[in-house]
Amino acid sequence: MNFQTVIATLHQFWSDRGCLIVQPYDTEKGAGTKSPHTFLRAIGPEPWSVAYVEPCRRPGDGRYGENPNRVQHYYQYQVLIKPSPDTIQDIYLDSLKALGIRPEDHDIRFVEDNWEDAAVGAWGVGWEVWLDGMEVTQFTYFQQCGGIDCHPVSIEITYGLERLTMYLQNVNSIFEIQWNDRLTYGDVHLQGEIENSTYNFEASNPELLFTLFKLYEQEAKQLMEKKLVLPAFDQVLKCSHTFNLLDARGVISVTERARYIGGIRGLARQVAQLYLKQREQLGFPLLTR
Amino acid sequence: MASFLLEVGTEELPASFVDEALEQWRSRIPKSLADQYLTPETIDYYGTPRRLAVLIKGLPLQQPDQTEEVKGPSAQAAFKDGQPTKAAVGFAQKQGVSVDAFEIRSTEKGDFVFVRKVLKGRPIAEILTALVAPWITELEGKRLMRWADGEIRFSRPIRWLIALLDETVLPIKMVSHSVHLQSDRVSYGHRVLHPESVSIPNAEDYVSVLRSAFVEVNIDRRQEIIQAQVQEAAKQLGGVATIAPYLLREVTNLVEYPSAVVGKFDEEFLQLPAEVITTEMESHQRYFPVRTGRGENSAELLPYFITASNGDPEKSAIIAAGNERVIRARLSDGKFFFDADRADPLESYLPKLETVTFQQDLGSVRDKVDRIVAIATQLCDQLQITGDGRAQIQRAALLCKADLVTQMVGEFPELQGVMGQKYALNGEPEVVSTAIFEHYLPKGAGDRLPQTLAGQIVGLSDRLDTLVSIFGLGLIPTGSSDPFALRRAANAVVNITWAGDLALNLDRILESVVSSFAASYASVIKVSSIELLQQLKDFFLQRIHTLLREDHSLDYDLVNAVIGENDLEYAARALSNLLDVRDRAHFLQTIRRDGRLATIYETVNRASRLAAQGNLATDRLNPSQVVDSALFQKSSEQAFYDALSQLQGQTNYENLVAALGKIAPTVSNFFDGADSVLVMDSDPAIKQNRLNLLGVLRNHARVLADFGAIVKGS
Repeated sequence: MNFQTVIATLHQFWSDRGCLIVQPYDTEKGAGTKSPHTFLRAIGPEPWSVAYVEPCRRPGDGRYGENPNRVQHYYQYQVLIKPSPDTIQDIYLDSLKALGIRPEDHDIRFVEDNWEDAAVGAWGVGWEVWLDGMEVTQFTYFQQCGGIDCHPVSIEITYGLERLTMYLQNVNSIFEIQWNDRLTYGDVHLQGEIENSTYNFEASNPELLFTLFKLYEQEAKQLMEKKLVLPAFDQVLKCSHTFNLLDARGVISVTERARYIGGIRGLARQVAQLYLKQREQLGFPLLTR
Repeated sequence: MASFLLEVGTEELPASFVDEALEQWRSRIPKSLADQYLTPETIDYYGTPRRLAVLIKGLPLQQPDQTEEVKGPSAQAAFKDGQPTKAAVGFAQKQGVSVDAFEIRSTEKGDFVFVRKVLKGRPIAEILTALVAPWITELEGKRLMRWADGEIRFSRPIRWLIALLDETVLPIKMVSHSVHLQSDRVSYGHRVLHPESVSIPNAEDYVSVLRSAFVEVNIDRRQEIIQAQVQEAAKQLGGVATIAPYLLREVTNLVEYPSAVVGKFDEEFLQLPAEVITTEMESHQRYFPVRTGRGENSAELLPYFITASNGDPEKSAIIAAGNERVIRARLSDGKFFFDADRADPLESYLPKLETVTFQQDLGSVRDKVDRIVAIATQLCDQLQITGDGRAQIQRAALLCKADLVTQMVGEFPELQGVMGQKYALNGEPEVVSTAIFEHYLPKGAGDRLPQTLAGQIVGLSDRLDTLVSIFGLGLIPTGSSDPFALRRAANAVVNITWAGDLALNLDRILESVVSSFAASYASVIKVSSIELLQQLKDFFLQRIHTLLREDHSLDYDLVNAVIGENDLEYAARALSNLLDVRDRAHFLQTIRRDGRLATIYETVNRASRLAAQGNLATDRLNPSQVVDSALFQKSSEQAFYDALSQLQGQTNYENLVAALGKIAPTVSNFFDGADSVLVMDSDPAIKQNRLNLLGVLRNHARVLADFGAIVKGS
């Protein structure tokens, strides 16, 4: 099954189960969770079912395309359903069937794995799903987001698309993944891995990045004052990514580090709270849809 | 007699929660039943990743009737002239009996009215129905969660409930918003081997019905099955599986229907350090490694792993192939990290330590390393370590944390120290390499201690820095809260010193570490350096006390006698010579056991108590300087004096005790013999002279211990 077929299959599967299929969010982020489709929508009482592919950037994980399993840019397939359905584990196993993985042929386990992102005041509990010893999916019941208790609780399902496809295609390197019948993942992304690793670790301009961070931070604050929640959130994402770039460059000192993380946390919490207030003022419109 | 089954069906529980929950039930359920006057014949607890269950057998169908006795007013107040008073009538009404039912019995406080009431036992079904919901909801756990829109908290979502009294369903309900749990007799078998539901006809059929649905609910049995299967599989491979108990228990709670599956990996990976391979296998994949024989350190690894699968045994080949791919990818990662890390010398990682926080106010790990080197140097001075040995210790101190920023330790933090040791071999002397590994020892209570001097010194320096600097921030452990594991660190300092027989003056080293800390971190230090030093000394004294009592099994009072009860002199002695305080405590225990303590205890104690009325300084040991023989009136005084002169210069505790033993009859004579004296003579000079005789004796005894703290001789 080609990489693009895996995505198409999951789209179809979750679409059939009532999920809204949305497109990747256009700001750099370290995980699908940070997309506003998840991070903000998990807050508040409105029901929400969504599935999307999210490109993730983790500058520090770059290996110049030399490590077969580790890259600084990859894809997650993200599902968020609120409130969490009673039969979600069975539904998930059905999605594996749709991908041609018959659970009865394998050792599938749900192994405890809790999630916490202190930087954005979020935590949840759940599992990593093991398919014959390989972690292919993360399951998380969101308990808190942006410091706000989740009511009702959302379930987040995150598939590691590359892992899953490597398994299905029986290849040992991300770059060998067949994207379609003609081109491989390496054809699409290898050069980017090499160049971006060089950028992340060697060529980025720390002075400029420090300046950018400050600007994004200022912008986030002034937007929040104007109650422009969604634009402010974009600026918080930019802060977070800029921080990751600085961190990969190894230029964040100890004292600065705590200050940066604290700063991002504060912003994320404020956005979360503003978002909840905004939805409330709008009368939680999705409650009746 | 009836049997009751409760099963709580869940989504996959954390492995540790299964055991924690059943442990709570083991103490709670019998008590909860006993509170209802119910004593069942047996209670069995079951658990798998998807269920917690309890099967209670031998319950009466009806709660036994209970007789209750209620005490009323005194007989005097209850009856006047043979007639019941208002108080008596009121009491009878309140208890729902007539005055005729009163019994008058005498008590210590006179005659009183009693009534006996019979409480009719309720049907067991009724009691259990009311009882069990709290058994579920009151379970405690580390991170409980809510699900959907409900408020119920549990470790993972509850999906079904079974409550069966023999063959009858008891109606248990847990409802919160749309979360609606209602008990039934329907359970679920293995997720893929028996996806259909199963009906439990009778509580007692539980274990067998689930077994037929590919679920072994008995945890101990599941564990035995895994252990036997894994060892059998290892035997087939010509090896022995290393089964760590913690891992076996965890794996037991990750599967419902275990079957051992064997996988192989490429032999070229065996070039990796064994710790890297086993960490990947055990911590990350929950596999059991296979070795050529027993003994983790001596036996070689074989290129196999064994996993306890929860899948269909018939599909073992597919499952093995999948797992083999995972371990191959993980070991390739490991090899990638290992090769990349070794491309540069360990020293080249030092600058990167500046990016790792030790503690917010205490700077980076690089800063900590500088402090460790400084402390290690002071320890070398104190222990008179010079030349190569000293240089190697300083080198090991400098490099001891460098591996924290290597890729391998970034990936597997538990390999800190292990990787530093391996990487140091690339260019550093072996002493340095070993010390890097050893300085983390002991990793927990009962773990091995560093064997090399360099490992001991670096380990001490690291911990002394942590203790002084964290105390300096005012983050002193309280009660059960000790987030920086400072108790463990202080225990390690004492244990390493003892085990290495290091002639360390802890008192002095603490003083100097505190003063450099106070100088460098003046802006974050919470108390004056004098106060900080005192806090640390008190903390160490407590640790020494606890270690001697608990780990060395010495009597409480004997430990008090060497550390002194509020006696600063003993505290200072203990800290300035840790070896001596340990030896004296053990010696006291020995002489208590063999009876020598009993022979001197009374004499020394009596002398010491009286001497306390005098003012002789505790460091005066020579009688000729403080006692004037011209003032003697009786021969017993001269005899005492002569005997004391014999004690002079006894620094060996054996000899000291022997000499004290010898002196005892002479002192008895001085007190009670035919020739005895009254110490508290009316002439102040004579009195003082006699008190000084006793004082010198006390002072000699004090060299060994504070006898006042010892509660008895034998």
